[in-house]
Amino acid sequence: MAVVEKQKTNNPVGKSVPRNDVLEKVTGTAIYTDDIQFGPGLLHCRVVRSPYPHALIKKIDVSKALKLPGVKGVVTGDDFDEYIGLYLKDRHLFARGKVRFVGEPVAAVAATTEEIAEAAVELVEVEYEELEPVLDPEFGAQPGAPLIHPDLGSYERPNFIFPVAGTNISNHFKIRKGDTEAAWPQCAAIVEHTFRVPHVQHVPIEPHVAVAKMEENGQMTLWASTQSPFAQRALLAKTLHIPESDFRVIAPTIGGGFGCKAGVTMESIPCAVAMKFKGHPIKLRLTREEEFYTNFVRQGLVIHLKVGCDKDGNLLAFENRMYWDGGAYTEYGVNVTRAGGYSSTGPYDIPNVKTDSMCVYTNHPVGGAYRGFGMAELHTGVDQVMDMLAEKIGMDPVEFHKRNCVQGGDVLATGMVIHDVGIKECIDKVAQALDWGVKEPPSSPNKLRGKGIALAWKAPAMPPNAGSSALVKMNADGTVTVSVGGQEIGQGTFTAMAQIAAETLGVPYESVKVSGPIDTRYSPYEWQTVASRLTWSMGNAVRNAALDAKKKVLDMVAEAWNEDPKDLDIKDGYVISYKTEESISIKDIVVYGLPKPNDQGWIGGPVVGAGSFMPTYVTGLDAETGQGDRAVVHYTTGAEGVEIEVDKETGRITILRAACSFDVGKAINPALVKQQMEGGFVQGLSSALFEGMQLVGGVTRNPSFVDYRIATAADVPPEIDTFIVEHAQDDGPFGARGIGEHPLVPSIAAVAAALHDATGLRITNPPFSAEKVYLALLDAGLVE
Amino acid sequence: MHNPHPGLPEIDYIKPATLEEASRFLASHAGEARPFMGGTDCIVRIRDGVWKTKYLVDVKGLDGTDGIRFEAGKGLTIGAAVPMNKVAAHPDVQKHYPVLVEACHWVASYQLRSRATIVGNICNASPAGDTIGACMLLGGVLRVFGPDGMRDEPLNGFFKGPGKTNLKPGDIATALFLPLPPAGSVGRYIKLGRNRLGDLAIVGVTALGYPDASAASGFRFGIALASVAPVPLRASKAEEILAGKAIDEGVIAEAAQAAMDACTPIDDTRGSARYRKLMVRNLTRSALVDIWTKIRK
Repeated sequence: MAVVEKQKTNNPVGKSVPRNDVLEKVTGTAIYTDDIQFGPGLLHCRVVRSPYPHALIKKIDVSKALKLPGVKGVVTGDDFDEYIGLYLKDRHLFARGKVRFVGEPVAAVAATTEEIAEAAVELVEVEYEELEPVLDPEFGAQPGAPLIHPDLGSYERPNFIFPVAGTNISNHFKIRKGDTEAAWPQCAAIVEHTFRVPHVQHVPIEPHVAVAKMEENGQMTLWASTQSPFAQRALLAKTLHIPESDFRVIAPTIGGGFGCKAGVTMESIPCAVAMKFKGHPIKLRLTREEEFYTNFVRQGLVIHLKVGCDKDGNLLAFENRMYWDGGAYTEYGVNVTRAGGYSSTGPYDIPNVKTDSMCVYTNHPVGGAYRGFGMAELHTGVDQVMDMLAEKIGMDPVEFHKRNCVQGGDVLATGMVIHDVGIKECIDKVAQALDWGVKEPPSSPNKLRGKGIALAWKAPAMPPNAGSSALVKMNADGTVTVSVGGQEIGQGTFTAMAQIAAETLGVPYESVKVSGPIDTRYSPYEWQTVASRLTWSMGNAVRNAALDAKKKVLDMVAEAWNEDPKDLDIKDGYVISYKTEESISIKDIVVYGLPKPNDQGWIGGPVVGAGSFMPTYVTGLDAETGQGDRAVVHYTTGAEGVEIEVDKETGRITILRAACSFDVGKAINPALVKQQMEGGFVQGLSSALFEGMQLVGGVTRNPSFVDYRIATAADVPPEIDTFIVEHAQDDGPFGARGIGEHPLVPSIAAVAAALHDATGLRITNPPFSAEKVYLALLDAGLVE
Repeated sequence: MHNPHPGLPEIDYIKPATLEEASRFLASHAGEARPFMGGTDCIVRIRDGVWKTKYLVDVKGLDGTDGIRFEAGKGLTIGAAVPMNKVAAHPDVQKHYPVLVEACHWVASYQLRSRATIVGNICNASPAGDTIGACMLLGGVLRVFGPDGMRDEPLNGFFKGPGKTNLKPGDIATALFLPLPPAGSVGRYIKLGRNRLGDLAIVGVTALGYPDASAASGFRFGIALASVAPVPLRASKAEEILAGKAIDEGVIAEAAQAAMDACTPIDDTRGSARYRKLMVRNLTRSALVDIWTKIRK
């Protein structure tokens, strides 16, 4: 057999090296949570769920369920009285006294098979008394709306979340900058419009699954398909009164998350059941329908916008009133609301800003984190009003965007001074790729053709002190093992981390392995895999750990060679001396050390580098004005544009071509950055054209892929042009900042702008389904 | 809330050796047993709890359910167990029945079509069935084995309501016979889904046209509509208009309007009745124009 020499990529940062998780995924050997075998002690769990959006629980009778052979037990809200919540602690593990959304867990059954557990669920008798539901966030925010959480005022919360006791408003974020009232009379053009963005679902290919086991000694282990093993450990340990060190979370390979596997979702249920049946692993798998009914959603938004500019198109004033449909509880909703608030202007420089961003309890599914964390919803409104205002003042949208977009040194609406950003270059690249300004003829008389562009920005939305840590272990064969606590959810973070470690250490990319699965017992701490923060934050931790390891190696060799470590370096896996031109392979010495001359002992020993990173400079914002020194760590900015055709026979939109450009600071792996741009654009396109949960009376009418349509390959343009812009991030590893979520953000507004360009109509509320477009054309007399 | 099963409930799988045995079992377990072919509809419905089936009677492999047979001068027989991908790839089907191939291509996805069958699509009797229109317009006749032996069930008149047909407990559709299409015939199937791949039809229009000296216009057309009535619908009035006078753009528009007026769609999660009616008109017109452009030459 021929021996193929292994590829060696030195200095891999900035190179499109192949992903290091490809082989096991394409060959089907990767181990997902549902693949793990737990032996005959395994019990299956199914959940009794509320059929009502808002009701009192009068009585729960589990006696018939308990009599079913194979049923081990049933737990209800009576068994757990603690509150849980990532920010605002507002929910119980199982409903107590009251249900607040269709699908809310009321009880859970443990049985020897999934089928028996399901049969037992149907035997649990729950008596409800229906209450008037709140089904619209704007209505819910008004005085007199039914109160969903009468105890809101007493809930535990962090100091940056501002609930309004006695109302349904779980967070009210405000910005008061300049004086909008004084600015309106000076505007040459003003646009006011209201937009509605529907709830959407994440629909990862792998539904939620979790297995929990409590040992007789009280130690808990949770295997879960999760983006947040450490956050789950922290939240669940506290709620279940288990010491954090006795709570272990193992996070095997995950089949997509997009935010819905962040924080604690259904994992609390098997953990709660496991406490009652020590020694038995308890498994819960959600069906696709349960994903729709019971899991986090991208919450709906009603957004009222008013924006004005002077006669030259310079933005003068902006008012933004957002009602986020946070749903029955607010695991993430309150912070989406905060992020929507401090970023409420979009990437535009506006002197006078008034923002009210409110998270409102409704009897809808719980709002969670969804790729973009509020920014896609926000930009759906903001970028459309900007397009409208450009039209009103008679300015080309590209010129208007470039005139008003943020630049390094601008004072943002929160008072923060923004760093250098390359958004203008992004706009230029997108405009150029789409031949902006050239009106192309439609492909047939039955079509209308148009182009649209929209901008995006997003900051990592997280607590100010979200931290990362990493370990870099050197192996005797010259390879390196990197341990991290962030999850590979398809974005390619393990690849990027290997590149950063290899570049920093001076070894080939192929010599670095990133160890998985993440296991809170062995992996170093990571806050969560969210917020597009890993490349930047975990990347810094990995770089610091690699620097630490490198220093240890060089110190050891310097001592052995009697040289100054400053004259040494590691290149291609060899320690070299710039002074003496000596070199030695790092193999063996990074574990066994180096002998002193004449058999006089040894130097060094096994090399392990440790590193961590936490931003320390984010400040609080004033509760009444939203003003502070630094609201966020940084912003990733960019632009997207599309050219579309609208079929006059059916109303169907075809995307002819698309262009995306983002300033990522530094592309650690350009191919992966481009894939994020393509994937994000497509997911955004899907929500622009197809996606939306049809909530009627609190019930999801389209809870499966039969009627919740997502874009397929056939719906996507054959080519998506992607352009990387690199204005370095001052505190990013090699200048990098995140790109995971941002490409999804402007898609809806870009399609809406193109739709207007093609038809002259403003169809403002997504999804822009064929039916909606056709009926709008018909009502406008554009078709018969 | 529809609380779905995590998996299939318990079902007994019955594999009879003969049609007689299968028919007897089905007849004696009316309401509890169903014939099982590709399973792409019944497995889903049983899992969803819509059907409370206890017994799935596998009729694949029984007499006449296998294979595709083309007899020159007579027509095509498609066994009930033949998956759509095989039908669509068959050279005789491609040559003589291209509209059926086009319709097959719009059913779900390639993966599904390697299990789904034409006869299953017909017996399932969904108003949205993509291949039903083509089979109706091609004069399809089902071969049915029942308690009284073999009989023929012409598709025109076969459908009684959503999921309801002339089939009775103990009946097994073993094959579909399609006579040779009239000389010079051209067909189209146009489907409108919410997205381009794998959706159920908001509206589906099948049309077939051919020269016919006995018609006043010199041509005869068949039009079948999906998803706009409780059953797959023939637009007879529109067909009469096209046979009755010299065809031009105006007559095609008139026929399309008649098709729109004939249908009785509902509002559902997939689309409104208003949009569906308008789409029947527009897609019927498109299909007729396509066909007319080809057959007038």
